[in-house]
Amino acid sequence: MNIQSASAPVPRAKGPIVWLDMDQKALDDAYDQEVYAPNRDQIVARRHANSDRVRAIIGPPQRVAYGPSEIEKLDIYRTKPASAPIQIFIHGGAWRRNKAADYAVQAEVFIRAGAHYVIPDFINVDEAEGSLFPMIEQVRRAIGWVYRNAASFGGDPDRIYLSGHSSGAQIGGCMATTDWARENLPAGVIKGALLASGMYDLKPVRLSKRSAYVKFTDAMEQELSAQRHIGRINAPLILAHGTRETPEFQRQTRDFAAALKAAGKSVELLVGDGYNHFELLETMANPYGLLGRAALAQMKLAIS
Amino acid sequence: MTRRTLVAGAAAGIAAAAGGSAGAQSDSAPREKGPPVWLDMDQKALDDAYDQSVYAPNRQQILDRCKRNSELTRERLGASRRFAYGPTAIEALDVFAAKAKNAPVNVFIHGGAWRSGMAKDYAYFAETFLMSGATLAVVDFNNVIEAGGDLTVLADQVRRAAIWIWKNADSFGGDPERIYVTGHSSGAHLAAVLLTTDFLSDFDLPPNIIKGGVCASGIYDLKPVRLSKRSSYINFTDAIEERLSPQRHIDKLLAPLHVVYGTLETPEFQRQGRDFAAAVKATSKEVSLTALEGYNHFEVMEQLANPLSPLARAVLHQMKLAAG
Repeated sequence: MNIQSASAPVPRAKGPIVWLDMDQKALDDAYDQEVYAPNRDQIVARRHANSDRVRAIIGPPQRVAYGPSEIEKLDIYRTKPASAPIQIFIHGGAWRRNKAADYAVQAEVFIRAGAHYVIPDFINVDEAEGSLFPMIEQVRRAIGWVYRNAASFGGDPDRIYLSGHSSGAQIGGCMATTDWARENLPAGVIKGALLASGMYDLKPVRLSKRSAYVKFTDAMEQELSAQRHIGRINAPLILAHGTRETPEFQRQTRDFAAALKAAGKSVELLVGDGYNHFELLETMANPYGLLGRAALAQMKLAIS
Repeated sequence: MTRRTLVAGAAAGIAAAAGGSAGAQSDSAPREKGPPVWLDMDQKALDDAYDQSVYAPNRQQILDRCKRNSELTRERLGASRRFAYGPTAIEALDVFAAKAKNAPVNVFIHGGAWRSGMAKDYAYFAETFLMSGATLAVVDFNNVIEAGGDLTVLADQVRRAAIWIWKNADSFGGDPERIYVTGHSSGAHLAAVLLTTDFLSDFDLPPNIIKGGVCASGIYDLKPVRLSKRSSYINFTDAIEERLSPQRHIDKLLAPLHVVYGTLETPEFQRQGRDFAAAVKATSKEVSLTALEGYNHFEVMEQLANPLSPLARAVLHQMKLAAG
């Protein structure tokens, strides 16, 4: 693999093995997107600019509260047809940054194809004092709100699909392995999910420098590692990664896909040839791009 | 030009300054500025402004990705049909034909600093056209090295390709009265040459066989190129510089023009786009200008594969088509 590394490859003595064949530095780098995606800031700035541009074309979203706290609101970009399917997108940002408004860029793909596009805002891990549980609970609440209130915006509660990127795909994995009966929702509330560039086993993340801001516990690692709860999955999954992502972000997706396959679950693995972590998500803003095409196909929507 | 595009253009100027310093990685050590050779640029600055890799460190990644995505596009759509437009082997074009008969045709002229690039690696945006009901024709032509340094050879081939399409559009279900041209980089230069060709005087054809053009990330005045290190492989003469600088032949432009550049392109590639659009506007001809915010030279070209991008929208809008 041709790694595009921002820092010059100065030879260094390898330290003790921490995870697989990686020492601490290699593992830390494998959970630091910037090491493998030197154009991160450029792509993020472009996403913001393109989201502004798309909102100028399609108009502002309807913004509603799905929970009691200030952050618990979601943006709904509505399509025209009645009783339309719904795509809920869970954004990434290493669990610590980003907001729904800056992902409007993908909305046009869905609303043109006849689906509503919903993006929840949720708390970040720093605001949650290092716990991942509050954001998981909030996103569950957001999905519950969408299911119960779909009719209020012309949505079909029986055609709710999910997508997520990066740490948002980790959350998406938790949604796909949620016991929805405990939330008083049907087990099949999610009809399919597209999870891109995510993490599905938190052990190596816990061993990495991300522990500096995520206060992992054994319970958190166990409950929020989707790969350890495959038996609960009853929706078809599409998993994707780019060939220029970090070794761990490629492996996490490959391993989750293999585990799903071994368990006889419905899974499709997509590999974006020549895309890094941030560039891969840009293909979701294109109906003919790798992720845009896959999301529409999963919803059984025509791309034209 | 709309107000929005003007504002975008002004913002681009600021981004250009920032992008220049950030992009010119090889230039981190302070260096004494030499005598100006073009505008405020010394030889090194001008050479850098005509060297994409200085401002687009991911050049090879994007070129490889477009090549790969072209293969994937052919896997989905099937192979293109290849038609010869001239006597030599390279004088042929790849056609992805729309299903409907009498479809409008977009002729794509690829870039590559006039010295690289093959039509087969520019199939990756075929769906943008096919799904909107248009036919795409991607032209192969000699590179300037094969042409002994003479850009006239390339210009003549591209003209003959356009004329062949006009005369033979029927053979692939195309409408000869709805031929449009798109070009990127040095291909935008050649597209602009096409758009400023006098088909009546030079070929005894209707003057307006091309109905519109989109020039992305191009060069429209060859003087600074001639002053740059690109002269090491292009044999510029006064006649070539004059005849093949489209900005000096705007009187011959008959079709609506849309000019596009990225705000992370080299300062010269931004300026060339802005100046060409301004020069056309000054003659009251139909022109619009779009700055793609946050895109470098190669990332601009990739945007043609997204029907919802400003670049693809401009192309489809000019052809009076809606995105598929």
